[in-house]
Parts: sequence; structure tokens; C-alpha cells
Amino acid sequence: MNIRFHSRRAAALCLAALFIFTTPLRAQDAKSDAAIFVGNFAQQGINDILAAPIANAEKQQRFGTMFKEFFDLPGIGRFVLARYWRAASPEEQAKFTTLFEDVLVYTWSRRFSEYNGQTLKVSGQQPDGTEGTLVKSTIIGNNNSHFGVDWRLRKRPEGFRVLDIVVEGVSMAITYRQDYATVISQTGSFAGLLGRMESQVADLKRQQGS
Amino acid sequence: MKRIPVFRPHPLARLVAAGIVAAGLAACATRPPASNPIAVAAYEEANDPLEPFNRAMFKVDAGLDTLLVRPIIKGYRVIVPENARPHVSNFVDNFRSPITLANDLLQAEFGRAGITLGRFVVNTGVGFFGFFDVGEKIGLAYHSEDFGQTLARWGVPDGPYVYVPLLGPMSFRDGTGFGVDAFLVDPVAWYGRGDGSMAWVQWANFGAVYVTTKDSFIDPLDELKKSSLDYYAALRSSYRQIRAKEIRNGAPPPMEDFDE
Repeated sequence: MNIRFHSRRAAALCLAALFIFTTPLRAQDAKSDAAIFVGNFAQQGINDILAAPIANAEKQQRFGTMFKEFFDLPGIGRFVLARYWRAASPEEQAKFTTLFEDVLVYTWSRRFSEYNGQTLKVSGQQPDGTEGTLVKSTIIGNNNSHFGVDWRLRKRPEGFRVLDIVVEGVSMAITYRQDYATVISQTGSFAGLLGRMESQVADLKRQQGS
Repeated sequence: MKRIPVFRPHPLARLVAAGIVAAGLAACATRPPASNPIAVAAYEEANDPLEPFNRAMFKVDAGLDTLLVRPIIKGYRVIVPENARPHVSNFVDNFRSPITLANDLLQAEFGRAGITLGRFVVNTGVGFFGFFDVGEKIGLAYHSEDFGQTLARWGVPDGPYVYVPLLGPMSFRDGTGFGVDAFLVDPVAWYGRGDGSMAWVQWANFGAVYVTTKDSFIDPLDELKKSSLDYYAALRSSYRQIRAKEIRNGAPPPMEDFDE
């Protein structure tokens, strides 16, 4: 990576997977529905998954359930695939959503065991588009490291849902969007992307023995 | 009469440079035909006309990373314990303050220039030559500026994306900025050039920046590699997003079309 980048910003680049959903919210910071939503996600993640005395397979399963509850997966899929989403059949869209959920769950669950007491502090929020809220937060590690995580939320009929997380300026959805667009043009088809995702999920599952 | 030193590249270096330019020209990505609008849109969004050349350099870099960079970082991690590494980074950052200060001023960001100057004074003095970030504790938060960001603020477009082995991803604009900072702005470079016997200072400085930066990037990049399908594309996207954030001085990103 280019050596002009500053190390503390840089170190946070992809560690989102490790911390973002893991950290308790300080009660006094919970000032709005959106902030409370982010806090609940963090609190539930730490209590029920990271700090819970259960086997890793059980953690993965709980996280999968939680993930579906808090994230707008079809919405993320629509954004990540953009024009390819509209060109895909409903069956392909459903298959993509299932695979993408598995990619995220198993990518993140690899790091569950590394949690050691990081906390999340909501620092503010602002309107995001016509129906959304951007919640800004900081993850504070126990060696006083800190990095910024922004949560892009959308109000759906059933409540807030996460559409994207932005860690130190790097958006998960935008990064996957460009990654997947490249794979589609390399393999020449949407089916090619689904095949690559299938083998990635199989690898991740095998590495974690589940 | 005093002889003016002239920079003369080694003939071999000229040959290598010519080869790289030729390879780059030969390896331009081909634009998809207009009959395939989805492919054309993807090509334009990637904005990477040198992609085949860059991917070749990306492979070269991966090899050098395994053979050269990782063993060096491994050694660094053995010598410098984990809890001391942030202090080494602080020291290196503090040394870089003049570059940030110059670019704050070039961007007419006088408030930020004041913060940079204040941090430099406090951290060098109270913070034991920069090893302790006292500035952060008294409300002078760190930021970094470089000439690539200055050019961006002046309205210079980023130009094609280039992947440089050992250095990593950059745009033409940011690569130019890096060269300007390293050779024209950095006082350490001037000091190193002033007297032939002082050239080692510049190399030591470069080495320290390189090692601390690579050290901080190894783990996040390994993570990105594992979570992505096409690591090259994921890194290109992440690089651009980080640069865009730095150029905005950390302001939130503009709305994306999430509601389309």
C-alpha cells in the first residue's frame, strides 16, 4: 500500500469485520432511535455472540440470524450488483442474497475469537438521503487505538436496517460492488460470479470446520 | 566555478523505465464494444486503462512482498515489541510534520496548519522527540496532508490508476505528489542532499516510513484479500475511497445511490 497513508488510519482499513458489531454502546450516547439501533446491534453482538461461552458453530448461527434481523440484505444486494441486479432473474437474485449473506457471516466469524474488549461510542448522526440516517461511531480498543465506523441506516416499515458500514472511509458496499463487477466482467456472466462466491463460501466453511 | 549537480539516471534505470513505458502502452485495457452497455459502464466505473499492466505489476509486488517485505516486517516485529510500535509510528509521523504543514498552507488550511505546527512543537518537546503523542491528548488531533491532496484541492484530476511494486496503489496525480513531497518538500531530503555524507539520513527516514507503514498495512490487507473475490479490484476501490476521504479532510462521503 502506498507509503503516504498514515498508519493509524490505515490499520483500520479492513478490521471492521472484527469489531463493528461487537461493541457495547454507552447508555448516555443513545440519543436517537438510530443511535439506539446501532447500540443494540453492538450490545447484542457482544452479549450473545462474542462474550458468550458457546461453540464457534453456534456463534456463526446466531450471527447469521442477527445479521438478517439488522441488515437490509436485499437492499445491499441491489446496491452491490447495481445494473446486474436489474438484469438478473428473481431466482438469481435470491441465490445471490443467500450467498452474499454467507460470505459476510463466514468472513466475519473467522475473527470472533480475537475480540478482547473493544468498545463502541456513537459520536453523532446526520440525515443520509431522503429516508436515511448516517450514524457515526468510534471503536476504541484497549490499547487506546480508535477508528471511525459510519453506519448507513434506512428506515424500513419494520424499523431501521443497516445498508452499509464505512470503516475509516472505506465502504463495505462500494468495495464489494467494484470487486463483484470485476468478477462478472472476467467470468462473462452473473452465473460466473455466483460460482466464485460458492467456492469462496465452501473454503471459508472448511477453514472454520463447519 | 561551482558545478551544478545534474541528475543522470543510470543507463540500466533508463532501459528499465523505457521497458515499463512500452509494456504499459502495449497493455492498455480494451474498451468493450458499445453493443454491451453493462460492460461499458463497468469499464468506465473501474477507470483503470492500464489494468493489464497494473495486474502484472500487482503479481510482481506479491512476489516481492513474500520474498522481501514480509521478512523485513517480521524482523521489525521481533525487534520492536507490539506496545512500542505505536510510539515508533508517532516518531516517524512527527518527522513527517513539515510535509503536512507545507501542504496545509498550500491548501490555505490555516487552522489545520496551526494544529500541525502545535503538534510538532509539543510532541517534539514534551513528547520526547515525537515518541509520545501529547498533542492528541490536548486536543490537537493528528491529520496528514501530502502534495497529491494539494493537487486534488487545486482541481487536478487523479489520472490513471497505477500499481507500483513495493510502493503499492497510486494515481498519476498522487504518485506525482509523493515524488514532490519526498524530494522537494521534505526538509530531511534537503538535509540529506546538502552534504554527501548525510545522504544516509534520507535513506534512514525513507526506511523508517516504509517499515512502519507496511507493518500497519499487512493485517488489514490480508483481511481484504480474504474477504474479496478479486483482491486487485477490491484494493483499487479501497485505495480510492481512502484517498477521497483524505482529500475531503475526513468529511462524510457524498450520498451514494443506495435508493436507486
